[in-house]
Amino acid sequence: MKISGAGLAIGLGFMALAGLVAFDAASLQVPPSYARVGPQVFPYLIASGMALVGLRLVWEAVREPIRVHVQPVTDWKAVAMISVALAAQYFILKPLGFVFSALILFLTIAHAFGSRQYVRDLVVGLVLALSAYVGFRYGLGIGLPQGILKGLL
Amino acid sequence: MDALFSLMDGFATALTPINLMWSLIGVTLGTLVGILPGIGPALTIALLLPVTSKLDPTGSFIMFAGLYYGAMYGSSTTSILLNTPGESGSIMTAIEGNLMARQGRGAAALSTAAIGSFVAGTLGTLLLTFLAPIFVKLALLFGPAEYFALMVLAFTTVSSLLGSSVTRGFASLMLGLALGLVGTDVLTGQPRLYFGQMSLLRGIDIVVVAVGLFAVGEALFMASQPHLRNAEILPVRGSLFMTRSEWSRSWKPWLRGTFLGFPFGALPAGGTEIPTFLSYTLEKRLSKNPEEFGKGAIEGVAGPEAANNAAVAGVLVPLLALGLPTSATAAILLAAFEQYNIQPGPLLFSGSSTLVWGLIASLYIGNVMLLVLNLPLVGLWVRLLTVPQPLLYGGIVLFSLLGVYSLNNSVFDLALLMLVGGMGFLMRRHDFPVAPCIIGLILGPMAEAQFRRALSISQGDPSVFLTHPLSASILAVAVAVMVVPVLVRRRQGARR
Repeated sequence: MKISGAGLAIGLGFMALAGLVAFDAASLQVPPSYARVGPQVFPYLIASGMALVGLRLVWEAVREPIRVHVQPVTDWKAVAMISVALAAQYFILKPLGFVFSALILFLTIAHAFGSRQYVRDLVVGLVLALSAYVGFRYGLGIGLPQGILKGLL
Repeated sequence: MDALFSLMDGFATALTPINLMWSLIGVTLGTLVGILPGIGPALTIALLLPVTSKLDPTGSFIMFAGLYYGAMYGSSTTSILLNTPGESGSIMTAIEGNLMARQGRGAAALSTAAIGSFVAGTLGTLLLTFLAPIFVKLALLFGPAEYFALMVLAFTTVSSLLGSSVTRGFASLMLGLALGLVGTDVLTGQPRLYFGQMSLLRGIDIVVVAVGLFAVGEALFMASQPHLRNAEILPVRGSLFMTRSEWSRSWKPWLRGTFLGFPFGALPAGGTEIPTFLSYTLEKRLSKNPEEFGKGAIEGVAGPEAANNAAVAGVLVPLLALGLPTSATAAILLAAFEQYNIQPGPLLFSGSSTLVWGLIASLYIGNVMLLVLNLPLVGLWVRLLTVPQPLLYGGIVLFSLLGVYSLNNSVFDLALLMLVGGMGFLMRRHDFPVAPCIIGLILGPMAEAQFRRALSISQGDPSVFLTHPLSASILAVAVAVMVVPVLVRRRQGARR
């Protein structure tokens, strides 16, 4: 019998999450006047629901291999590239400013999707990022981080 | 006939130049995102929320509703010419419609889809006009226990009817409910699941979750699947003017699709997917030439396309009259109401009648605009299909970054976006539906509020949900929705 590893992991993950929600609910300090229907009741309900779903997912994973919605080939490199570029936004958006930060994101995604027309991508990305920046700043009055363009735009 | 007078007032609101402009922007944007694969109405409205927060609510909702309708029109074009559904409501259209396009009957398929959408959209809006006030009267009978039961019903229907299995639907719902717990409890001020992060105290914004699941998750998934990237675009061939036989084969499926789609949207039964599947099966069974199905039968385009537009009109009934979202887009619209501090439900019709009736009237106008946009101008829209995928997804994620950051000007939200995006990727990869998560997130805190209100009225006695006849019967239906599909599946399995 073949056991689906991914299915098992997802099921166990749900049980772990259920534990987390229940643990958090248990640590709430409930004022006595709310003792019966306080802020902890709903989390407990959700935690039990999650645990049940987790059990069921584990059972399905053991009984029948998970129906993965994908073809055998997975381009993990593309996934990693996009993830890194997005996670990097947390650190670079403010120092670099919106225009360049977003441009880097755009170019990485275009590359991950297999584009090798760098000039076209650069032009399109720059137009999108700049028009979004200008539109937000001057059209809507919503300031985006200026970063290295400070004083220029 | 109160509804008629209110509707007339609504037209007075909707026909002002500024609101006509919002409607036009809405339907145009809707057609655009409907046609572009990878971006849909829920994501677009979520991305627009930070921008519209300073606009007039009536204009914004006229735009949003036009966008929702428009996406249903536009997505049929993608299904027919690209064989990739533009939205989930057009999956069935892709089957027969694409085959018709391959045989050089693409124009006829586009026509029957657009005219069918118009017929269904208009009839659906008519039903909405007269049913919404009745729902409102019904809603006045509801107390907290009934509202809670109704929300439980919405939870079980979207979870068990969407996606590939009941377990996965519920898994997605539970994730949404858990995310909804994060933040400060309104009644006691207790922080829940905030892990010492001050930014989490105000809760997780639905925009972050919707954008993470729909844009980032989808982009990661598409990037991971190189074979999904290239699809063949078929040219529009044939005449947009349908022949007499095409008309006569289309009009009945349009009407049947409408009457299937509307109730499925209106009862909390999970949006546009199911009625389109049912409509396809029904047309196949009723057709005089069932052998044509699988080879490009026009009925298989006409029925489902009518059904998805009617379902959208149906979805608006519980959303406006009860504040109950039954699709992912409706959940985002509910978030939009919250943003303006407007409470959908019975009070909306008395307190903000200009908004509601202006919105409903604008739907009639929007439908006419959409027919014009999608039939004579279809050639222009088709060019959008040639946008290369690297640029399309690059653009979608760029606007996601913009939308999520400008919510609170916080990079913390970007970190959350990445986390939710990773979750969305896993869900997409392992076939978990996304809509239940979005609905759980927005409806969870409301369900909790009603739950606690009901229990504090009953002084902690949980039997209140079962002793009120109305709430007991709604809960019974909710359980049935959960159990019946499992039993049916088991019986079918036993027969095999």
